[in-house]
Amino acid sequence: MAYRITTECNGCTACVRLCPTGAIAGERKALHAVNPSLCIECGACGRVCPQDAVQDAFGIACRRIPKLSLWPKPVVDAKICVSCRICIEGCPASCLAGRMDGGEKHEIAFLAEPKACISCGFCEADCPVEAIRLVVPEQPAVEVKQS
Amino acid sequence: MNRGYMGKILMVDLSRGEISEEVIPDNVYENYLSGLGLGAYILFNRIPAGADPLGPDNILGFLTGLLTGTGSFFSGRWMVAGKSPLTGCWGDANCGGNLSPAIKRCGYDGIFFKGISEKPVYLYVDSGRAELRDASSLWGKDAVETEETLLLEGGKGARVACIGQAGENRSLIAGICNDKGRLAARSGLGAVMGSKRLKALVVNGKRRIQPFNRHEIKRLSQSCNRWVQFQPPLFSGPALSRVGTLMRLLPTQMAQDGLLYKFFLKKWGTVSMNQVSIEIGDSPIKNWKGTNEDFGPGRSLTVNPDAITGREFVKYHCYGCPLGCGGKCSLPGQKGGETHKPEYETVLALGGLCMNEDADSIFHMNEMLNRAGMDTISAGGTVAFALECYEKGILTKDDTGGLELTWGNAPAILALVEKMIRREGIGDVLADGTKVAARRIGKGSEAFAMHVGGQEPAMHDGRNDPGFNVHYAVEATPGRHTIGAQLYYEMFQLWKEVKGIPRAKPLYSKDRKYLADHEKAVMAAACSKYMNVANGAGLCMFGLLMGVTRTPLFAWLNAATGWRKTPGQYLDIGARIQTLKQAFNIKHGVDPRSIRVSDRMLGKPALPAGANKGRTTDLEKVRGNYWDQFGWDPETGVPDPEALERLGIKT
Repeated sequence: MAYRITTECNGCTACVRLCPTGAIAGERKALHAVNPSLCIECGACGRVCPQDAVQDAFGIACRRIPKLSLWPKPVVDAKICVSCRICIEGCPASCLAGRMDGGEKHEIAFLAEPKACISCGFCEADCPVEAIRLVVPEQPAVEVKQS
Repeated sequence: MNRGYMGKILMVDLSRGEISEEVIPDNVYENYLSGLGLGAYILFNRIPAGADPLGPDNILGFLTGLLTGTGSFFSGRWMVAGKSPLTGCWGDANCGGNLSPAIKRCGYDGIFFKGISEKPVYLYVDSGRAELRDASSLWGKDAVETEETLLLEGGKGARVACIGQAGENRSLIAGICNDKGRLAARSGLGAVMGSKRLKALVVNGKRRIQPFNRHEIKRLSQSCNRWVQFQPPLFSGPALSRVGTLMRLLPTQMAQDGLLYKFFLKKWGTVSMNQVSIEIGDSPIKNWKGTNEDFGPGRSLTVNPDAITGREFVKYHCYGCPLGCGGKCSLPGQKGGETHKPEYETVLALGGLCMNEDADSIFHMNEMLNRAGMDTISAGGTVAFALECYEKGILTKDDTGGLELTWGNAPAILALVEKMIRREGIGDVLADGTKVAARRIGKGSEAFAMHVGGQEPAMHDGRNDPGFNVHYAVEATPGRHTIGAQLYYEMFQLWKEVKGIPRAKPLYSKDRKYLADHEKAVMAAACSKYMNVANGAGLCMFGLLMGVTRTPLFAWLNAATGWRKTPGQYLDIGARIQTLKQAFNIKHGVDPRSIRVSDRMLGKPALPAGANKGRTTDLEKVRGNYWDQFGWDPETGVPDPEALERLGIKT
C-alpha cells in the first residue's frame, strides 16, 4: 500500500524535497510519481501539496496544512518515557534524540530538530508506553492594530 | 501482509562486487523465525562442506530479530553468524545498541557477505540502494574512529558496524563493533569480516516495520514494563558481596527469581555481579585454578558495583529496552576520555582471572579492546593462560619481550593486551586465543589453556552451576554462556507456559545441582530451544531472565506475525533451529564428541578449597541425555536422517 499522486500535480517539487525516503521522483513542472516500494505512508507529501494532488492508500485525498507552523509536533512526557529509543530509531526524519531530563542518569526522548519533523506521527503510534502526543505548537500571539 | 519481518535478504558477493536482493518465502520464517534461525537456514544450505572460515566460501550474515521494530521491548539485538575460525563450528554472536532496527529498516531481515574483496571496502545500504564503497583510507583505523568517519559519510540516522585492528589482523578472537565500543564479540567473526576485507557495514534505513497487531504488542509491552519499572531501594554495592558470602555458606539453594537480578541490572548493570559472583563461586579465579579465597571481598573491593558506577556519567539504553543496563564512564587519568561501562565479563576476565585488582587498568584495557574490536572474555582468558605459563617457567622474560607476567601485575597485563592487539612479539603468539597459543608454545602448556572447542569460556564456572559446563559443551557454538544453565532455567520459568517440563523446586540441597540425572538434560534442552526462539526474535537475554510470563516472548511473536502458535510449538521451532545448527557442524566434519571442556573446568581434579570445593561435573551422562532430547543419536550427537527429514531439513 502506498500513496499516489494524481494529475492535479503541477510539478512544484515540494513533496520531492520533503519525502524522507526519497520515494517521490519528479522534475520541476512535470508530473511527480511515488515509488510504492519506498513509500512508508508518512503523509508528508499530502500535507505539503498545494494542489491537493496526493491520495492516501485508500484513495482518499490528503488535506494540506498550509502553514508549517500548524503541523503537529511530538511532545514527550518525561515522566512516562522509559528511554527505550523506539521513537528515536523509528523516526523517518531522524529528528528525535535523547537528553538528560530529571534526576536519573537516563536520557529521555525529545524533539531535537523541530524543523525536520514531518508530523508523520510514527513516534506517537510506536511508543509502547504512550508517552508521546502530537500537538499543534502554540502560535505566537498576533498583535491586532486598533483603528 | 504485515508480519513483523521484511521478507527479504541482501546477498553481497565481495569477490565479484555484486549485490542482489532475495525474497524469502513465508514458510521459512514459520519454520525458523528470523534472526539466527534465518541465518542458520541460509548458512547451512550455502556454505560448502569443509569451507575455510577465512576463505571466500564462508558467508557472514548480519541479522535482525523478528520482533525488532514491532514495538516489543528488549528486541534490539542484532546478530552475526558464520563459520567460526576460532572453533571451526557454527559461529554466532550478538550485540545490542541501535544497529538492529537500522538494518531492518533498509528492508532486509539479514545482510549476507560471501567472497573476498580485492581491496578494503564497506557496504552502504539505505532504503533504496546498496553499494560497495572504498574503505582503503579506513583500513588501520580503530573501530571508534572508523564509526565516527562513517557516520559523517552515511548521513543523518546512519548506523555502523565495523571491525578494528584485531579483525583486520585476523585475530581469531576478534569481534564486530557497533555504537562506538559495543561488540558482537564471540566466535571470532571479526576475523571473518577482516578476511573478506570488509571494514564496515553502514545502514541508513527509513522503512517502516509493520507488525500484524501493533495494538496488542503495545499492550503486552506495557504489562512487561510494569515489572521493569518496579524497583525497590537497594543496599550499597560492597554490601552486595556479603549477600554472595551468605549464599555460599548456606547448604541449600533457593530457586532464583530473575526479577531480583533485574533490580541489580537496573541499578548497576552487569557489574552488579562482580563481587557476588566471586563469593558464590560463579566466577573463575586465577585461570580457573584459584578460588574465592584467593580473591576475597577485600581484594575485589576496587571493582565493587558502586566503584564502577561512580565513574558512570550517563546510563544508556539499547534500542527497545526500558531497563538500561549500559553506561558511559570517564576514563581514569585521561581528560575527556570515555569508555563504555566495562561489563561483568570484562571486569572478571581481566580482573579476577588474572588476579588483577587494579580497576584503572581494567577501564583502559576495556577501551583498548573495544576500539581494536577484540573479545574481552577471550583476551582475558588468554592473558591468564600466559600468566600461568610464565609462572610455570614455560614462558620466560625473553619470550615476553621483557614483560614480567606475574599474577596481578597490571602494567604488564596492559602491555601484553596492547601487544596482542598489534600482534607484536608474544602478542602475535597469543592473539588467536588459548588453544592456538598452546599449540604454538607447546611444552605442555595445553594443560593451562582453558577453552571449549577452541573458545575461551565466559566468567561462569561450571563447577558452581554444572549447567554452564553442559551448555559450553553441547551448543553448536562451543563455550557460550548466554544460552542455558540451571540458573537460567529457574529464571526463565518456562514451566508456567509450556506443559511437560519440570518446575524448579523453590528450595533444594546444593548437592542436587550436581546429580547428572535425566531432568538436567530436559532443563538444558528447554533452555537451548527457548534461546533459539529468542535469538530468532532478536530479544535480549536480560529481558528474558524476568521470566516468560513477565517478558511475554511467545505472545509478542503471535501478535507480530498473526500466527496462533502455542508456546510448545515455538519450542519445537527452537528445536528445529538447534538441529539445523548441529547438522551444520556435522556437515563441516565436526564430531560433537570431540568438543572437549578443559579438565580443570570440569573439576578434574576437584578444587581443594573454596566455594566449589570437591565439585565435579559428569558431562558425558548429561550430554548423551541432552542429545536424546532432540532425537539425535545419544552416543554420537549426530541427528539421524529421519529426524532431519521430519523437520524438513535437507542434507
